[in-house]
Amino acid sequence: MLYQALVKIHLKPGHSDPEGEMTARALKELLYPVKSVRVNKNYIILLESKSKSMAEARVEDMCKRLLANPTKDEYAIQVEKAR
Amino acid sequence: MKLEETRVCILRVGGTNCDIETREAFQKSGAKAEIVHFNQLVKQQSLLDFNVLVIPGGFSYGDYVRAGAIWAKMLIAKLGNDIKRFVEEERPILGICNGFQVLVEAGLLPLFDGISPFPEAALGTNIPTGYNCRWVYLKHINHGSCIFTHKIPQNLVVRIPVAHSEGRFMFGNGKEEKCLEKLLENDQLVFRYCNPSGKFASGEYPTNPNGAFFDIAGICDPSGKILGLMPHPERSFFNWQRPDWTGEGSLCVHSDGKLIFDSVVEYLGRRT
Amino acid sequence: MMPLNSAQPIQEVEIISANDIELQKISKGLSLGLNQKEMEAVKRYFSQRRRNPTVVELQTIGQTWSEHCFHKTFKGSVITKKGKIQNLFKTYIAKATDELNLPWCISVFEDNAGIISFHEKFGIAAKVETHNHPSAIEPFGGAATGVGGVIRDILGVWADPIACTDVLGFGPLNYDHNKLPRGIKHPKYLFRGIVDGIGCYGNNMGIPTVNGAIYFDDSYVGNVTVYCGCVGLIPMDKFARNARPGDTILLAGGKTGRDGIHGVTFASAELTEKSEQIARPAVQIANPIEEEKLRRGILKIRDNELASGITDLGGGGLSSAVGEMAYRFKCGAHIQLHRIPLKHDDLAPWEIYISESQERMLLLVPNSSLADVLKIFGEEEVEATPIGKLTDDKILRINYADFEAAHLDIDFLFSPPRTERVARWNQPKSVEPIFPEPSDLNPYVLKLLSSPNIASKEKVVRTYDHEVKGSTVIKPLHGDFGGPNDAAIIKPLQDQWKGVVISCGFNPSYGRVDPYWMAASAIDEAIRNNSAVGGRRIALLDNFVWGSPEKPDRMGSLLRACEACYKFAKEFETPFISGKDSLYNESPLGPVTPSLLITAIGIIPDIRKSVSIDLKMFDNLIYVVGQSFAELGGSEYARLKKHEDGFVPKVRVPQAKYAMEGIVNAIDNDLVRACHDLSEGGLAIAAAEMAISSNLGLELRLNNIACAESVRRKDYLLFSESNSRFLVEVPMGKAPEFSRIMKKVPHSIIGKVTKDPHFCIYGLRNEIVIDLKVDELRRAWKSGLEQQYET
Repeated sequence: MLYQALVKIHLKPGHSDPEGEMTARALKELLYPVKSVRVNKNYIILLESKSKSMAEARVEDMCKRLLANPTKDEYAIQVEKAR
Repeated sequence: MKLEETRVCILRVGGTNCDIETREAFQKSGAKAEIVHFNQLVKQQSLLDFNVLVIPGGFSYGDYVRAGAIWAKMLIAKLGNDIKRFVEEERPILGICNGFQVLVEAGLLPLFDGISPFPEAALGTNIPTGYNCRWVYLKHINHGSCIFTHKIPQNLVVRIPVAHSEGRFMFGNGKEEKCLEKLLENDQLVFRYCNPSGKFASGEYPTNPNGAFFDIAGICDPSGKILGLMPHPERSFFNWQRPDWTGEGSLCVHSDGKLIFDSVVEYLGRRT
Repeated sequence: MMPLNSAQPIQEVEIISANDIELQKISKGLSLGLNQKEMEAVKRYFSQRRRNPTVVELQTIGQTWSEHCFHKTFKGSVITKKGKIQNLFKTYIAKATDELNLPWCISVFEDNAGIISFHEKFGIAAKVETHNHPSAIEPFGGAATGVGGVIRDILGVWADPIACTDVLGFGPLNYDHNKLPRGIKHPKYLFRGIVDGIGCYGNNMGIPTVNGAIYFDDSYVGNVTVYCGCVGLIPMDKFARNARPGDTILLAGGKTGRDGIHGVTFASAELTEKSEQIARPAVQIANPIEEEKLRRGILKIRDNELASGITDLGGGGLSSAVGEMAYRFKCGAHIQLHRIPLKHDDLAPWEIYISESQERMLLLVPNSSLADVLKIFGEEEVEATPIGKLTDDKILRINYADFEAAHLDIDFLFSPPRTERVARWNQPKSVEPIFPEPSDLNPYVLKLLSSPNIASKEKVVRTYDHEVKGSTVIKPLHGDFGGPNDAAIIKPLQDQWKGVVISCGFNPSYGRVDPYWMAASAIDEAIRNNSAVGGRRIALLDNFVWGSPEKPDRMGSLLRACEACYKFAKEFETPFISGKDSLYNESPLGPVTPSLLITAIGIIPDIRKSVSIDLKMFDNLIYVVGQSFAELGGSEYARLKKHEDGFVPKVRVPQAKYAMEGIVNAIDNDLVRACHDLSEGGLAIAAAEMAISSNLGLELRLNNIACAESVRRKDYLLFSESNSRFLVEVPMGKAPEFSRIMKKVPHSIIGKVTKDPHFCIYGLRNEIVIDLKVDELRRAWKSGLEQQYET
């Protein structure tokens, strides 16, 4: 079965986000009433798996192994059947 | 084994771009250094044919995901056993800039309790943000464990340039104190950012160019055989590479970075 | 765009029976960018062959005949009051080079880049490009691919890129948002994106960005200007250019996609409000890592002598590269379009053929070495695909599977109808600005130091890796204070002391007054910047950024600039070796200020002799070399005083030449401790910059300036921007020898270096005119750009 996982990687609370701050500044320059920006990185992953729970486990493993650095990153995973 | 027989492996992948000058630095310090593509090591040669592993600067695999992250995982996935033996046998490993990022992402630094499956530290986005190319002052604070710096007197201030956008050394939130203690205890701190007279930056920009925790520019593992640092010693090898050498009157031939290459080459010579 | 019909992918266009109006409709509808005369030539060609063209053929012709690819304005004829000029390029630019006929010019105006000799078998390749239109639409991608493109030009002559340069022109960063026309992006937004884009490409590829400039001018609001340059090193014995019929045409690098379709026709037209929607697909996506791998593969193929020819894919994509290769080697080509690896599989054949997807190169490979070449690219993880062969019949044949997509004579493709332009020029009346001399000049020094064109660009330069490769001897930022060195020096060979000296000259504000003296000044500035660090045997590159050549006044000013290019290149004995023009820089706010960038490539026999900007030792003497005139037209001081016109600085040869040669001679004889050229802001600012770069001070006297009797105003003496001048720090004991070397040029001691970091200038009656702390100067200079940015 083909599953689609949406992985969101973002900085843990308390870590400063210079990229977000810089982006906020740029948006303000374009005259948007922006208060703040947090940047997160999304990955959309298509994978074969026998079940949803197994897919979730595999994607969680990917996060731990490559996509996130636990020192500074958190991640959230959403898995659904791919259309 | 004679010094002439020791081999330095300067590893590269797509996006590595400081390999040539790093090789020159090793060669000029008297070592035999070769540039080897990672795929070559996976397919044909063996890492264990080499005595020193160097991961030079650049943007390996585009630095996508996080700087150094992809190469780090590939290194462990494809050469894990060789790396493990390399570390166990205390063969020196040097990571410069992107190489430091790779070593941290691969769990090879700070190496508190053996090779860690997950990074124990991170090199975060610079504060202030953005790429920063500048000469910095570093205080050598290692007490003698690090074989890459034993020719540098303790507390000596050296000048080496940095050039990166992800070089802010950090530990997990709340873990800083404990990790720092371990670094101190194991004599793992090697270089800290300071001003020309040796006063630590205390986080102040641009003396500390990236906001690194405790002004950390480079650390080694507890054995002192693995060094990772953000500054580029290969760009501070000759006197004429310095940022104001034209004013220095008498021309000495070399610059501070050479001491790092000389240290490891001398170490290799001693082991023979 | 036409949808792809897989049953009949090759569409024909009814042209034989088309009338004038229909011809124009076809040109517009397919975005060919061809005018009436050109469309008629196309019609004639196909009528003779009794068939209609395919879309692929029309697009190929459109691309090949575009201003961007063919430079039809420079190669066409110009009608002036005095008569007809046949070919601007040959009449002016190339003429200087031809007449000078210097033995060290190896390949000029021939390939993707100019090549000059360097050391024994090594040559230096240089190229500068513009990427204005793409950067105006998508600043990051536009600028990044500009750098990527010029690096490929260097790879396109088998050279290894060793340094990049960039010169940028923006509108004022504090420009009023409400005054921006629709579709034009704010200078601040463009500034950030373009700077990031340039840094991204050079840094990722590991090529140091070592020289450049940032210039602010109102005319750049609607016409942002982005020059990207690259210098490379090449062992001439590996320079392969001997392709023959039967050789394989190999496409290497990234896949081909819809990015950058019609980039050249877009670059050869004016920007309008709608440009953004129309042009989005014309913007290319940058992937510097791909190009890095490509570079490794190409250099290995070069060193093993496996290929017979190479060119980059830039403007016009395959259509331009294949045609030019076939034309150069007097061959034909047979291309199999369906073999080209695609990013999306719904690309129409014509899209494949003109796509400007980045990071692609075309190699010509003899069949005997094809396997080796493919193996090398494989090792570097670069995709390489044989897409066709050179043939012996001078015909371009393109197949798409079993369909014939094109069958064109190469000679027809490279003989478009001659373009004819009309030039008109009215000499502006120069009046010297009339305003009273301010009583206190101190604030003017500080204001000038913090003005956008003079203030430190450190914030930008630090985001470019200028140290990678470890070969940057003289850096864009000198020492801890980030002093603005006049030129960069690269030491490209490990065991040779010889260096490459890279500098530029750029004076658009003179261009508004008189493009002739603007061009002359740019040449003088580029050469004197080179000389100031010790560079000699200088070659020049010209890059014109101009308004629409279809308007007689723009054409008139272009002609003026070309005349100066010939005269001064000839007299300085500095040949042009490569150049590029970007015309049609027009926006709803008007045309761009005529802007000519001159890049100078010199050499220094021993880099250990090179000289930097910073003051070295107190009590050393300060000389001014060269004559000062009251020339304030287009100067930064006049701008501050809101006077736009006036006498722009002239260039006086042979005196100017003696000054350059004298400086280099003095440097070779170890007489010079520091040197800085006088440019924007004149003597006061040059002196201030020398002090700012060091821990020392200066004490100068205006009444000691050589041969300046005609100038009786202190502010003129301080801020006039007369060309061909230097400030030089000379040790006391070396003064007699220095004066002897300089005897052909006006020169005088105007003061000395002081231990106390104070900046003190005495006036004509020995009164104190300027009295500032070097710290104050430094603060003004370093904070200038940021002040603009924050407001």
